[in-house]
Amino acid sequence: MVTFRILPVIENRVLGPYTLLRIKDRNMHKEAKCGQFVMVGFPSFLDPFLLRPLSFLSIAEDSFSLLIKKKGRGTEKLSELSVGDELKILGPLGRYIIPPKSGILIAGGIGIAPLYYQSLWMSHGILFYGAKKKRDILFSKDFESRGFTVKTITEEGRGTVADLVRENLEILEGQQIFICGPDAMTKALKDIIGGYAKQAFVYMERRMGCGLGGCKSCAVKTDSGYKLVCQDGPVFPLKEVSYD
Amino acid sequence: MIDLSVNFAGLKLKNPVILASGVWDLPYTKIIDFEKLGGVIYKSLSLMPREGNPPPRITEIPCGVINSIGLANKGIKIFNREVLPELKELGTEVFLNIFGESIEEFSKISSLIRDVSGIEVNISCPNVEKGGVYFGRDPETAYQVTKAVCENTDLPVIVKLTPAASDIVVVAEACQEAGACAITAVNTFPGLVIDIDSGKPLFERVVGGVSGPAIKPLALYKVYEVSSNVGIPVIGSGGIGNYEDVLEYFFAGAMAIQLGSVIFTNPLAPIEIIDNITKYAKEKGYSNLKEIRRCVDE
Repeated sequence: MVTFRILPVIENRVLGPYTLLRIKDRNMHKEAKCGQFVMVGFPSFLDPFLLRPLSFLSIAEDSFSLLIKKKGRGTEKLSELSVGDELKILGPLGRYIIPPKSGILIAGGIGIAPLYYQSLWMSHGILFYGAKKKRDILFSKDFESRGFTVKTITEEGRGTVADLVRENLEILEGQQIFICGPDAMTKALKDIIGGYAKQAFVYMERRMGCGLGGCKSCAVKTDSGYKLVCQDGPVFPLKEVSYD
Repeated sequence: MIDLSVNFAGLKLKNPVILASGVWDLPYTKIIDFEKLGGVIYKSLSLMPREGNPPPRITEIPCGVINSIGLANKGIKIFNREVLPELKELGTEVFLNIFGESIEEFSKISSLIRDVSGIEVNISCPNVEKGGVYFGRDPETAYQVTKAVCENTDLPVIVKLTPAASDIVVVAEACQEAGACAITAVNTFPGLVIDIDSGKPLFERVVGGVSGPAIKPLALYKVYEVSSNVGIPVIGSGGIGNYEDVLEYFFAGAMAIQLGSVIFTNPLAPIEIIDNITKYAKEKGYSNLKEIRRCVDE
């Protein structure tokens, strides 16, 4: 069930270049499913005005966690919150997915957040993970301890996650693939993985107004016209997404 | 018992709070109790389906939002088949906002509308190539469009005006003369956001529509201007976020109000506002909306 509530922050922790916010809530773990997200906003009605769409990083019985990358006014303010500060939370939102028991995850930068959440629903798999710098790579040991093989690459080192996947194409054979990262990365991957794109899904991000299919803002171009991230996604079959 | 009902054009709305066109769709029934609302206006429908503008389509501004959606919709025929049956079950008065690129298109779409409480004519959207704000800036075209709609329907016709008209009162008078039973004032203000990384406008169509608390005093003045000069009822719209804003709109002359982008920041605002108007009336000892709006009518 979708709810709109005011909930308190119970933890703010710096995690590499990001901020982990933990929000107290005993209901989300009963309601949220794999692939879904929440809209997060500040109690003041005036400014910042819009709620921000954010993926779950993880959900526990008493709380859920979000991973924040400072990108603008809103995310900067979110990063600065203290324990006890309150947030408006609308969710869970979006179409859920049924994750495979095992599969391939491909993350770029902050794109690790929804894939980390998805991995909690899986028993094992392979993670390809690219970031700008070595310190940006998070959760490697955590993934490994849960039966995932982790392959990382950094731009300050050898290259991008697309390069990493190109070197390991044969691993993709027969696997479901889930991708989250910047559009440029997912576009490059679509070309690189070629025929394997049939088995691939991509988590999309767009500027969003309402989160409930009302404003039609978060449009993604697909082979069958525009679709909405909040209603038809956030997870789309990669082959349908048009990057022209 | 406080009676917040509003009567106009033969309709009785249970209260003056109407959900504006373009900000909600059926998934909002998961979070808002529609039966409590005075009415809802469904997002602009055109004769044929419209894809809408390329993304990005929205961004935040200080105290508000600017959009360039471009009236994405399924078209009236698919709407009648797929969406209308569900809207009829909402338990509130349903109005359809309609859009046409020509007067002929307005005539055709009006003749296809059925089973709703009324029509709101959109001659004020800034996010399209033809029609929209281009019709609403010119009193003669506003007259022609309104007349074409009124001739093709028996339903009450409301016209939603743009604040970009050089004289909104003249446009409103033209709509009244053509048969409109009420005016919605106002649609979004045309505005611009530049992406400083590229040095170019954020939206492909350059212009966007500004809404939210940032425009409230601007929109409120338009409501005052229209309601002071035009005989038909005015539905106020623009940046309303709480019941105090609603009172301002009443005292500026609005008969009812529409809530738009506030539901992005607080989807429960419509219900909170209705509850707070009721509470306000109780505290002041008013028993109905007419008493609340007394200083306007005096």
